[in-house]
Amino acid sequence: MKQVRYKLRQRLAFGLTLACALPVAADSVDKGAEIYRSACKGCHEVSIAPSLEGVVGRRVASVTNFADYSEALQANSDKHWTPEELNRFLEAPRDYIPGTLMMQTVPDPQERAALIAYLTTLGTEPAALDITAPVSGIDQPVTVAVRRLNESQYRNTISDIFGADIEVKARFEPERREEGLQAVGNSDLSMTSAGFEQYFGLAQRIAAQALDETRRETTVPCSVPANEAAARACAADFVNGYGEQLFRRPLSEQERNSRLALVPEVSAGEDAFHQGLELALTSLLAAPEFLFRVETAEPDPDNEGHLRLDGYSRAARLSFLFWNTAPDEELLRAAASGELFNAAGLENQVQRLAGSPRFEQGVRAFFYDLMQLDGFDNLIKDPEIYPKFNQVVADSSREQMLKTLVGLLVTDDRDYRDIFVSNDTYINRSLAAVYKVPYTSDADWTEYTFPDELERTGLLSQIGFLSLFAHPGTSSPTRRGIKLHEIFMCEPTPDPPADVDFSKVKDSKAGTVRGRLLDHMENTGCVACHRRSDPPGLALEHFDGLGQLRKFENGQLIDVSATLNGADFVGASGLGELLHDDERIPACLVRNVYAYSAGRVPDEALSPFLSSSVAAFAEDGYRLPGLMQRMAVSEDFFHVVVPSGAGASDQVAASQ
Amino acid sequence: MKRQYLGLAAALVLTNTAHAEWQKSYVIEWNEPAMYYGADTGVIDPGTDCPAGTNPEIDWIDVLVRAGYSLEEAQWLRNPANPTRSPRHGQNQMAFRGKDRANVYTHPETYPDPGLTEVSGAIGEGLNLDSNSSTGFTSPTGEKGIDNTFYKTLGCWKTYRGPHRLSGGALTFNDAMRNGAWTMVVVVTGEGDDPRNDEDVSVGIYMSDDKLVKGGDGEVSPDYSFRLKPHRVYEGIFSARTIDGVISTREPSEKVVLREPAFNQELELLQAQLRLTMQDDGSLQGYVAGYRPWMPIYTGWVDARGPVIESLTWVELPSVYYALKRNADYSPAGANGENTHISYALRVSALPAFVMTPDASQEVSQVVSYRDSAPEEVVRNPFAGLVVNGIVPDRSGKYYAGPDAVILPPDAATQ
Repeated sequence: MKQVRYKLRQRLAFGLTLACALPVAADSVDKGAEIYRSACKGCHEVSIAPSLEGVVGRRVASVTNFADYSEALQANSDKHWTPEELNRFLEAPRDYIPGTLMMQTVPDPQERAALIAYLTTLGTEPAALDITAPVSGIDQPVTVAVRRLNESQYRNTISDIFGADIEVKARFEPERREEGLQAVGNSDLSMTSAGFEQYFGLAQRIAAQALDETRRETTVPCSVPANEAAARACAADFVNGYGEQLFRRPLSEQERNSRLALVPEVSAGEDAFHQGLELALTSLLAAPEFLFRVETAEPDPDNEGHLRLDGYSRAARLSFLFWNTAPDEELLRAAASGELFNAAGLENQVQRLAGSPRFEQGVRAFFYDLMQLDGFDNLIKDPEIYPKFNQVVADSSREQMLKTLVGLLVTDDRDYRDIFVSNDTYINRSLAAVYKVPYTSDADWTEYTFPDELERTGLLSQIGFLSLFAHPGTSSPTRRGIKLHEIFMCEPTPDPPADVDFSKVKDSKAGTVRGRLLDHMENTGCVACHRRSDPPGLALEHFDGLGQLRKFENGQLIDVSATLNGADFVGASGLGELLHDDERIPACLVRNVYAYSAGRVPDEALSPFLSSSVAAFAEDGYRLPGLMQRMAVSEDFFHVVVPSGAGASDQVAASQ
Repeated sequence: MKRQYLGLAAALVLTNTAHAEWQKSYVIEWNEPAMYYGADTGVIDPGTDCPAGTNPEIDWIDVLVRAGYSLEEAQWLRNPANPTRSPRHGQNQMAFRGKDRANVYTHPETYPDPGLTEVSGAIGEGLNLDSNSSTGFTSPTGEKGIDNTFYKTLGCWKTYRGPHRLSGGALTFNDAMRNGAWTMVVVVTGEGDDPRNDEDVSVGIYMSDDKLVKGGDGEVSPDYSFRLKPHRVYEGIFSARTIDGVISTREPSEKVVLREPAFNQELELLQAQLRLTMQDDGSLQGYVAGYRPWMPIYTGWVDARGPVIESLTWVELPSVYYALKRNADYSPAGANGENTHISYALRVSALPAFVMTPDASQEVSQVVSYRDSAPEEVVRNPFAGLVVNGIVPDRSGKYYAGPDAVILPPDAATQ
């Protein structure tokens, strides 16, 4: 620890030296961090560029686990990255060291100084983050997260509460993906006024159906009440019952009374009574407490000064993860009883959720988000080039990916990494036509194992992945590679520089894509990213932009050999084997399971939790159901992050 | 019912146990009467096939007057403002223009032959059915002896005339097929080593209940799977050979019945032959030809609502009757019998597809007849029950049409 402090002092000294030389304040580290996040992180925190931890004072081109230094940087390996060197380099990298692959410039001297000051802090051990540290100033329940229900969660909830025959016809607000997940993006989403109009109209239509004469008998907990007291009790049961299911917690007194006020006295007549109930239900369905998942933390009675996620928020998090719907009666009961705060109670519920057939629904929703399958809604292919493509093929491709994932990981409980090497899948008649295989079933879908000669090894060789991550008229090794890194390795790729000439890449009538990309990579500003993103995509080049098998492009034989991080591989099967053994892949899944369920990427405080989850995942043979269950029974899974600024003014009613 | 299952089982056993050396299968994506088009553009314009253009538009008032109606009656019947002109009733009274106002659709010979413009060009498409190179047309590629009297007879009727895939009739019926009304599949098997040159080839044309599927370009997509549906009526089995990828019949099939792209759905072909070329793109193009009974061609149009057909397609149906009868060129009863059949060719385009056994378990690997295993099935005219004697009678009786119909209402003179 002493040594670490010494190094930190030494680096800060470098930074201060620079600060003296340049017009920058020593407290500009925050500014530097901001610049780092926007300009450096995209490459240096993934495998495109070497890590910058400890860069200040480090010898040039000396990170041992980074194999892709340019020859230009290697030729300067006798130098060290002193603040002065960094300052000159960052001003104009390619002028200072011609041939470097570094494309980012920081022309402003103050910004360079701030960035170098921040870089000086990297590589020092962070102050130990205490996940159990007391939260000061909050002694009542407080809202810690608000996430908008997505379309499938809304539909599942309505179906579960009111019946599958209730029609939900509406245009839902668009989702936004952040950190690779819509579940994370939804945590930042609000609602437009036009969107609210849609939800309000939908609430009216659902309430009208639920209280339609044909359903009233099952929806309303009583027949026509004989007197006012009975009517009030009936209405209260109605509002409380549906309110708890929709809000995923009991209603507060105020919430209940405001809805009951909409129900007229029984003397107004039977129709008026039911219209009142319909209004009350509409109000519940249009309420933010239904449309948004509100997570609440409360003071932990067993740990003074600390917060814990309350029982109902825990129930909702579990239910949406495992079933992609609101908590059922049993889970709400467990929340109310406090069972979700003790290990045995929590484990019972998690086992029940994971053991249900509805678990598949939760897994489908997770992979729908993770694999970015919403992209099929707007997928376009040039009909002249890919005449077989139509909406049925698009929908079927998406469904094939989901069926394959559920089949392998849930039904067969196989190793998660098998998704990259397994030939087992499901097809329907439309997909069989695109794969050019006979469809040997009378059913709509059937299990299918691709013969080896079709080269369909793993999920990445399915039409879904191949067509979704391609252009309308051509394949795209780059897009496929970028998405592979983003989805399976949690390594996003930064946007290309604004001044790149794409004309050579886009000339789809010239040679093969490989050749065109090699031309494109003559631009040194592009090569750093492309040498990481393209190899996996080039291995998939036996599949065109729709995912159809081909061996030639523009009359030239397609070469599907590739090299990534020093490893050579050939075709989809070679790529699959490479990915199967890549340690980043299970770690990324663990990160995504948490991010998906919590609606945010895990912070540093959760690193031990994630590391232990990855280790247990490996020990268990990389079984997804086991991973989800282990994570869900951990207290860390419900780790509370209090939003900055949250305090007394944000505290929610204690009665909730 | 029991016999039905036994038959199906027998067919399945046969297909499961007998395997040809090679197999190719297709789905028909377009088929139309092989009508050579001799003009540059336009359906009705003159061309080498029809130097005067198509059969001309008809002056129906003149026709009705010649049939014995007064000018006032004819004008009233043809006035779009009058109820008998409504599409629903299809100008039913037009049927009754035979002798003594007989129904010309059911009794065309009560009406003098109005004449039909026939093809006078020398080029025609199809096959040499009688092995006589001195009769018939010359093909566009110079082959002599092409027998297609159906084309000679009806090739200048605007319903049939037009460039490939663009005549009105072909468009209408192929659209229906391509939108899922019916599906025909083709299975080709051979016993030799080289599918393109094989002396022992069999071709089966069958029905399927699986619909054609269109891609994003609006065309039928290849490579879909189609379960063969055994059919009592529609089936064609041919023995053939391939030479350089061209499949030709070794001996004519005595009788095949295909699903015709027409109102008359049953295309019966006697002495049927085919010539289909395996194209480089995997498709199959060519002809299926033979002698077909001519009367169903006529009744097919009559049953499609005679007045509607006549008004829209510029023919008087009795002229079709007379022309077909006059030009019929084959008699199954022998050379001395009345010719009941007419030579015909169907132009066929088929795409590669997977033709599966009826239970979908495997690809059909042998060309055999499935007729005996097929359930009883009645082929119904699409207008069956609606059309009576070529017209759609007004069930209310308000707009009665018939030999004794009063044409002019009492106040017609004031209208």
